[in-house]
Amino acid sequence: MAADVRAIIAGLGGVDNVIEIEPCITRLRTEVYDASKVDQAALRAAGVHGVMLAGNVVQVVVGPDADTIASDIEELIG
Amino acid sequence: MVTAVLAPVAGTAIGLVAVPDPVFSQAMVGPGSAIDPRREPGQAVAPISGTIVKLRAHAYIVLGDDGRGVLVHLGIDTVQLKGEGFRLLAAEGDRVRAGQPVVFWDPAAVEAGGRSPICPVVALDAAAGEVDGEVRGGVGAGDELFHWS
Repeated sequence: MAADVRAIIAGLGGVDNVIEIEPCITRLRTEVYDASKVDQAALRAAGVHGVMLAGNVVQVVVGPDADTIASDIEELIG
Repeated sequence: MVTAVLAPVAGTAIGLVAVPDPVFSQAMVGPGSAIDPRREPGQAVAPISGTIVKLRAHAYIVLGDDGRGVLVHLGIDTVQLKGEGFRLLAAEGDRVRAGQPVVFWDPAAVEAGGRSPICPVVALDAAAGEVDGEVRGGVGAGDELFHWS
């Protein structure tokens, strides 16, 4: 199942909450300004395999398309 | 059809549950196994025949002609090493046969840097019941590790 890129951004608390996104084969390592704005249920509903939150770092497990999804997100964030 | 998935490195097959990273231990990207590698420099090989669709210094995915992809991850959190200590022996897009060398690395150096050198081997997006015949204990690089049916 392909994850929905826009829904992932929304689940991360929106464009303005995202500091950095780095893909690592199967997951997006994302740094956010405000971890309380991260909606894990919304991220799961966006089609991701799993979400791990540690401090301001959110790992979104998206499967092997992580590189493509990360570059799609970078484009949307601008 | 059954795909024999080979151990990419020599060491001890310990199972995916033993991997110190929930993405792998909870099989979020698929079932499979993991190897605690022998602490000596060596080659990590292709687990199946096919095309290398993703190649990073610390991880690679080989996609078989039947569309099944197997991920090999060399150590945990090794993306942070940015390739240091790893040498590519193949290129992304290359066709490889099962057992062909892909990356040269040193598990002892990874461990000395404070990271786990354990190598998850994942049948990407496979259903849990599709993986069986998992080997445990000592394996050599290129030995059968599990079956994907």
